[in-house]
Amino acid sequence: MSNTCLCGCLHLLTLPLSLFFFLSFRLKFVFGPCALQALDLVDQHSVTCLSSPSGRKAFQVVGGSGRLYTCFVSCHYCPCPAFAYTVLRRNEGLLCKHLLAVYLCQATGGTRQESVSDQQMSTLLGGTAAM
Amino acid sequence: MTDILTLVFRTFTSQTDGGEEPTVAPASAATCRTLLVGDPCISRSLLLLAAVTAASELGVRVVFFTQTQIQSLPLCLQKRVPSLSPDSLKKIKFSYPRTLEELLQQVAGLHESAGTSPAPPALILVDGLEGYLRGPAGPGGPDPGERSRAAHLAALLCDTAAFLTHLLRPSRSDPCRVVASFRSPVDAAAEDPALDVLDRYFPARCTLDRAGGYEAAAAGLREVWHVYLSGVREREDRPAAATRERKLLISPDGDMEFRSV
Repeated sequence: MSNTCLCGCLHLLTLPLSLFFFLSFRLKFVFGPCALQALDLVDQHSVTCLSSPSGRKAFQVVGGSGRLYTCFVSCHYCPCPAFAYTVLRRNEGLLCKHLLAVYLCQATGGTRQESVSDQQMSTLLGGTAAM
Repeated sequence: MTDILTLVFRTFTSQTDGGEEPTVAPASAATCRTLLVGDPCISRSLLLLAAVTAASELGVRVVFFTQTQIQSLPLCLQKRVPSLSPDSLKKIKFSYPRTLEELLQQVAGLHESAGTSPAPPALILVDGLEGYLRGPAGPGGPDPGERSRAAHLAALLCDTAAFLTHLLRPSRSDPCRVVASFRSPVDAAAEDPALDVLDRYFPARCTLDRAGGYEAAAAGLREVWHVYLSGVREREDRPAAATRERKLLISPDGDMEFRSV
């Protein structure tokens, strides 16, 4: 392998890593501290897409404390305290780590899939289940 | 869903009104969700007009959520909706959840019957959001959980409408719409935490403001209301954020009529 080709390969090996750090920096710049926390959730495969026979879907995220948070597919909402305080009350953030983890998983295809009954889906969406 | 409200205004506008007839623009993502803010009685009547107009004129199924039983329909319906019939009224399903939890469960459960019914609902109406969202105020001031409750309910309504839109798509091009009424107990100049959150999820707003002075008495009317539509583009030749004003005239016998301003 020629020196030129070797340098080219080394450059290709380093490109994804630098791109990763660049994208992480951009995420943190836009979304703040929750960006790294969201990436942790993604790494831990904490996001599950729930589907019911009617076709209704929802996302369920396992939080850092082990609690389950149900987020909607087409609307920006999370029942966690951070969303209630930082986003709704203080208007200081765009979203919480759980919502960002959902969006990241959707973008990277890293969402787990699970089926539930229509009644279970209604209970989860209505909030009477442990959210 | 301002386009349905615009249809209501057109249906219940006097034939002698010289103003320009409002064009019913196609529903867009922004007009799918409208918040009706103002007097609870007038808001309720407006929601009922929207329900009946949608069921009879558009032939769509409607779901109407309210805490208090509906005893009668507005007087003007018989006079101005020629297609009003028992069959069209059957398209409206009235539900009376007493608490926020019941309302959340009923809205969340709409997807269960959507696939088995002849057609999924294309219009969701919720009367009196404030009755469902208000909680006890603590010693530190307003209820701290009110914002979360408002966000959960509003987001659930939006997500449900989006899902029903997906079911409606094969046969209808219009999306499923949501119109909800809210009365803020807070002074207009002060910030209402629930309304602040609801504004995030309802891009369009219809505000009802009672006309002061002697305008009603001078015209021989019982009440005169200003109706302001904002947040959406109602006509193709108008900018997106233009606020359109109309007047709602209520005669002594309860008849309602809209007039262009």
